[in-house]
Amino acid sequence: MTILRLIVSRTLLSVLTLLLVSVIIFLILEALPGDVATRILGRDATAKALEVLRSQLHLDQPALSRYLHWLVDLLRGNLGVSLATGRPVADVLGPRIVNTLLLSLLAFVIYLVLAIVPAIIQATHRGGIIDNAISVLTLLLLSLPDFLLATILLFTFAVAVPILPALATVSEASSWQDTLRAIILPAVTLAIMMAVYAIRVLRDSLIEVLRSDYVRLAELKGLGAYAVLWRHALPNAIVPALNVTALNLGFLIGGVVIVERVFSYPGFGTLLIDALQLRDIPLIKATVMISAVVYIAANLVADICAILLQPRLRAGQ
Amino acid sequence: MTLTTSNLRKRPVTPHLDIGRWRAMSGPFKVGSVILVVHAIFAVVGMFWTPYGFAQMATGIPLSGASWQHPMGLDQIGRDVLSRFMYGAHIVLILSFAGTILGMVLGTTLGLLSGYLGGWFDEIVQRLVEAMISIPFLALALVMIIAAGPALAGEPALIVLVVGLVYAPRIARIARAAAMEIATREYVAVAELRGEGTWSIIFREILPNTANVLLVEFSLRLSYAPILIGALGFLGFGIRPPTPEWGLMISENRNLLIASPVTVFGPGLGLASLVIGFNLFTDGLSRMLGQRPVVGA
Repeated sequence: MTILRLIVSRTLLSVLTLLLVSVIIFLILEALPGDVATRILGRDATAKALEVLRSQLHLDQPALSRYLHWLVDLLRGNLGVSLATGRPVADVLGPRIVNTLLLSLLAFVIYLVLAIVPAIIQATHRGGIIDNAISVLTLLLLSLPDFLLATILLFTFAVAVPILPALATVSEASSWQDTLRAIILPAVTLAIMMAVYAIRVLRDSLIEVLRSDYVRLAELKGLGAYAVLWRHALPNAIVPALNVTALNLGFLIGGVVIVERVFSYPGFGTLLIDALQLRDIPLIKATVMISAVVYIAANLVADICAILLQPRLRAGQ
Repeated sequence: MTLTTSNLRKRPVTPHLDIGRWRAMSGPFKVGSVILVVHAIFAVVGMFWTPYGFAQMATGIPLSGASWQHPMGLDQIGRDVLSRFMYGAHIVLILSFAGTILGMVLGTTLGLLSGYLGGWFDEIVQRLVEAMISIPFLALALVMIIAAGPALAGEPALIVLVVGLVYAPRIARIARAAAMEIATREYVAVAELRGEGTWSIIFREILPNTANVLLVEFSLRLSYAPILIGALGFLGFGIRPPTPEWGLMISENRNLLIASPVTVFGPGLGLASLVIGFNLFTDGLSRMLGQRPVVGA
């Protein structure tokens, strides 16, 4: 019962946060002092162009009514019309989101392997050469800007050793083998960038758990090393890593912008950059809102998982 | 709780830095410090002397690769990449420091106030902070730059402001947590009884006692600032060309990756080594101060 209350209040808080996000985005983009149309089109814009843009954005109405209009439309699932293409934002976004989901899914699978395997090796060889080597490597990778890592991987596997395509251009016509070949490099880049954060946290928490009494007990019961590791240690060690994973999803959305750009992948991230370059306000608002929704939802799921997974939290409430 | 003059003077003993004891410091901290000092020297030299002008075109044959005259090669319009790289060093450092300091000032003030005052003020600040953090920071930074309009785009002041505003809510969250812990201490209660004002309590009682946490946070944020600024430059939303910010240089020279890789990997190595220096420094600092740095966005 108390668990349910905890989950419900956590969910309501997320909805409130999302509402505030919409206010912040609106304030930044449309309610800064000065003329919105001039800021979008620049000082050299003709009076006519400014007029057209003002009517397209309903700038003649007061800010509050524009905000409420936008919010109500959002809740109804109406994302507005893209200024640059004249098409509904939902139509523009749809295929891009599918592409990015595909990329993220592959990245996430690779991320799980890249995070868990080195952490286990480190925790079971604590203080050894391998442990230190992986620590140094994660620190180096942690310090590498994502756009540089993407460029290096692109150079290595598409130029120096040309086994993969340099441009991750996919369309509905491409076969699944081609699509996979095209997205493997961007996916690996994203996975590495996320894994370096998780490895450190997972290693530390695994070491802590491996020292705990219940793991000792499991060992004393005569369970094999692997059974202890997978059944007793890992599920408990994963809780701190869950929060990192949720944070990582936030990073993934930012990382997608860079990585998709480097590999020219037609996804959500390149769409955001295009929208920003064209100053397509309705498209920018929708894209940023969606990325915030993903981030908030991921954190909510991570928190709920943490509540459900951890016996200590369950008992404590 | 009894308040006597004897326990009024007693402040908690917190680990502190003793810069004089270089030998006692950890290996990573020393390596990090050395890297940062080298970067600082490099930046100062680059400010006053470069082999060619950073925007001087046609200094040699474009794309001719590394040579004695041009150790880091030339870019597409014949600019000397080493000169640009050297001149860019202080730009990257100054922008990173300025942005992070602005974020620290805003975030710390908001966080300490929120953690000390509590109540409805804290509630409102927390919800706003939460909402700001929910917008992926790169998206938030890009949206702010677009909102500033074409007149301000590419101005160093705008980049500093954007880094500060993106960092502030994240720093505020850390500062608040630290302030909440300190706010329950006796000496804060005593200061209240003495009739000290809110600002006085925050800056004279709470701030000094959260300094360790904030120092590590500052160092951690500073580590990431060159990447954030570089990413903005790489995407074409950073400093206005031809000012050679390193992320911008990597983006400019990306097409030369096959013909002249050093034009990309040079600035890349500069950026990566700077961040490694900051990261090692942060890691060592947090260990010495007995803090655990919070990893993540």
